Amino acid sequence: MLVQDPYSVLKLAALIIGGVLTVVGALCDLIGAIGLLRFPNYFVRLHAATVATIGGAVYPLFGVAIMSLACDFLGVARWFISAISFLTAIIITLTAPTGSHAVARAAHKAGVPVHPKACDLLEEDRKRGVVK
Amino acid sequence: MEVHSLINTIAMVVIPIYAVAALLFVIRVLKGPTIPDMVLAISCLSYDLCVLMCFLAIYIGSSLLVLGALCLALWAYILDISVAKYLEGRELGE
Repeated sequence: MLVQDPYSVLKLAALIIGGVLTVVGALCDLIGAIGLLRFPNYFVRLHAATVATIGGAVYPLFGVAIMSLACDFLGVARWFISAISFLTAIIITLTAPTGSHAVARAAHKAGVPVHPKACDLLEEDRKRGVVK
Repeated sequence: MEVHSLINTIAMVVIPIYAVAALLFVIRVLKGPTIPDMVLAISCLSYDLCVLMCFLAIYIGSSLLVLGALCLALWAYILDISVAKYLEGRELGE
């Protein structure tokens, strides 16, 4: 049965790969949300937010892009959905680390309080005048 | 027909998880002690909504929803950069 119709085998494979990527991404997003709520200060929350953006948004978008190729009932619109999901995933891959890096640098410069702090070498250098 | 039932099964798993995650992000937006916390949670919420819209486009069968997802991804980036500029220089447009 599997050898007779290669088109349906490809369709089933695309559905399974896309579904697994989507479900794993949803779990990553839930883990990131719990971390964002529970972690103590801003710079630790940034780590959880990165899990929630790359693991929770990019992987499900690739999964949706693969999965929509196998949806026959959509007609021509499946190519549209697949292309834009792929494009959105690439845009998020490029822009989410850039944006969070810029906000983190600005937050450190603006003096966001860090409550359990072991050491902060950048702040000491800034006080001594080594770094502007 | 079996494609439809598989998509339905995946939607039953995925949509409640994303709803709970969005609720937790909203709690962080309302609670956030500083402005960068709120910005971080809002951009996470935007990416979350973006994935949900792309998935709902398959689930409902309407292809126009994905255009909104593309705009949301770019909007979150603009929010990050503009708030970073404001926090760093205390004024915009310079």
